Amino acid sequence: MAEIELRNISKKWGHFVGVKDVNLTISDEEFVVFLGPSGCGKTTTMRMIAGLEDPSGGEVVIDGEVVNEVDARDRDVAMVFQSYALYPNMTIYENIRFPLRMRRVPKEQHAALVQRAAEMVELGDYLERKPGALSGGQRQRAALARAVVRQPHVFLMDEPLSNLDAKLRTAMRVQLKHLQRQLKITTVYVTHDQVEAMTLADRIVIMDGGEIQQIGTPHEIYGDPANTFVAGFIGSPPMNLIAGHLEGGVFSAAGLRVEGLALEGSREAVLGVRPEDCHVNGAAGHLTGRIFGIEPTGDQTFVSLRSDDTLIEIRADRDFRAPLDSTAQISFDLDRLYFFDATSGERLR
Amino acid sequence: MTQTTLKAEGAALAAAPRRARRSPFQRKIFPYLLVAPAVIYLLGITLYPGVFAIYQSFFVVTFTGWVPNGVGNYVDLFQDDEFWAALWNTLVIGGISLTLQCAIALMLAFFAYRDPLIRGWRIIFLMPMLFMPSAVAFIWKLAFMDGRVISDLLMRVGLISENIDFLGVVWNARLTLIVADVWQWTPFLFIIFVAGLQAQDKEIEEAARLDGASWPAIFWNISLPLMRPVIAVAVILRGIDITTMFTNVFIMTQGTPGGTTETISYFIYRTGFRLFNFGYASAASAIMLILTIIIAQVLLKRFFRSGRA
Ligand SMILES: Nc1ncnc2c1ncn2[C@@H]1O[C@H](COP(=O)(O)OP(=O)(O)O)[C@@H](O)[C@H]1O
Ligand SMILES: [Mg+2]
Repeated sequence: MAEIELRNISKKWGHFVGVKDVNLTISDEEFVVFLGPSGCGKTTTMRMIAGLEDPSGGEVVIDGEVVNEVDARDRDVAMVFQSYALYPNMTIYENIRFPLRMRRVPKEQHAALVQRAAEMVELGDYLERKPGALSGGQRQRAALARAVVRQPHVFLMDEPLSNLDAKLRTAMRVQLKHLQRQLKITTVYVTHDQVEAMTLADRIVIMDGGEIQQIGTPHEIYGDPANTFVAGFIGSPPMNLIAGHLEGGVFSAAGLRVEGLALEGSREAVLGVRPEDCHVNGAAGHLTGRIFGIEPTGDQTFVSLRSDDTLIEIRADRDFRAPLDSTAQISFDLDRLYFFDATSGERLR
Repeated sequence: MTQTTLKAEGAALAAAPRRARRSPFQRKIFPYLLVAPAVIYLLGITLYPGVFAIYQSFFVVTFTGWVPNGVGNYVDLFQDDEFWAALWNTLVIGGISLTLQCAIALMLAFFAYRDPLIRGWRIIFLMPMLFMPSAVAFIWKLAFMDGRVISDLLMRVGLISENIDFLGVVWNARLTLIVADVWQWTPFLFIIFVAGLQAQDKEIEEAARLDGASWPAIFWNISLPLMRPVIAVAVILRGIDITTMFTNVFIMTQGTPGGTTETISYFIYRTGFRLFNFGYASAASAIMLILTIIIAQVLLKRFFRSGRA
């Protein structure tokens, strides 16, 4: 129902730059997740789409129309706030009905619409209560119902699951995705949780310091990171980054040498390798280190290895056992290595 | 680390006996001794006169002595047309000015609270409250009556053709009292309401905005209901103050014309200090005290019970 385009959007407060030159096109019915550390400008960008914040520069375009001058009220955008922002003086029923009343939907339809929205989020039993008498999860669902009740053009959600406990969060995540598929409404979702981003998104927009670092499907973001920030941010535990020197197709760092690379030139570089692409062998490997820690999680075991000053995380299988401080040999999957420029952090290809 | 903690505890233990030397009785009584002067002073100027007045209300007080009169003063009061008139005047004048100042203050607050200038400079609006009440009353008296400033202004603009008789016509006289009170106290309510509105969660307002609500709709459906406790406190404070309205009446109208602007406070003053009927005046004060307590209690209960989310 709606396509959103951000053209060179930026936001400054005095000299402080909150969001810098963001360019992004979100296609109709797409589920886009803004992912980044706290304070990177995700909320600000979303608020500019909603019209709650005026951009300092650039244009917000919805369905081909520049909406910079259009009031938040008239953009037909629904938002779920991190704090839920339910109206404390109204019952849940009245909360969900509020958008219908304000948008002059004929009164006869209200009861049925509210009922349907409440059922969609499984909240039917609590309609007569006030927000103060609900748990975090129920409030979150009430806020969601209030957003879906009027079938908006665009959905905006600002960390809607961050106040829930881990188990509820997983359950709500599945529901949310199902709901969005069902309603087919263009959705922008903000989170700092990479698991949420990976599982929910059609496309992820990774932000840092007010700038977009990479845009791509979860698969692309994980398998093809554009720079060291993305590489280090995505994955749990994140990618190992080892500083070294690249020359004539050979990468070398203390205790480590990888040959036969298709990279030209001579420069300082960073090698990136994911924990699951490292293997502990008995025989010779690329790297030698001492076992620093072993963390079994049940289905797998994470091993951290110290080589010189660097700590390297490795995913081993569930039965891995070894005494601490013993020496281990590591080998890498050579076709799963990533190289980045040491100064700019950009990927070398 | 552990070492230092142990040492510190040891020091505390060593110091403890010295503190314990004061006897338990002394330790209990000491705090009360410290606050005693303030308490005695406060009781002396509030509780004592109050109890004295209630005691006095059961006597006929003359210059030669007190004659016990039982509830006679109260019986007389309930049959006294002037007392009922004063009660009615207080209700009418107080009710209208309280409603007006609340409505005006709320409206101004609603238009102003999002303005950063008003956030910074709201203290300026307190000015009318800082002036001495009797001086303000004299200025209004001058403007309305003696100096005829207001009549003069209205005549010059061509709205009226001759001086308005503010003292002679019942509702004109009441109007002067209402205007004076509204002028002096609207800013006080304005500040309280602005503070209340500014304290509200901004995200709730933004959510309502995205839900399609206009500013008046937000105010009416959300801000106002959430402001209930704030409004209640303001109304009670002002209500008690207005019920005892005296200065303006004393200086501006003295109850004229024909006692139609005589408030209860002025009635009590006139009975006590003009007619020297102290017992009777005390009885009226006692009734007024009971009335204010009852009204405040009812308002408090109503607003705070249902105001809770
Ligand atoms: N109203 C404001 N005034 C000044 N700075 C702000 C304001 N709102 C947000 N910021 C700053 O902008 C940056 C981005 O904020 P935000 O978009 O909320 O980050 P997040 O990615 O955590 O949602 C933060 O450093 C924040 O401190
Ligand atoms: Mg945020």
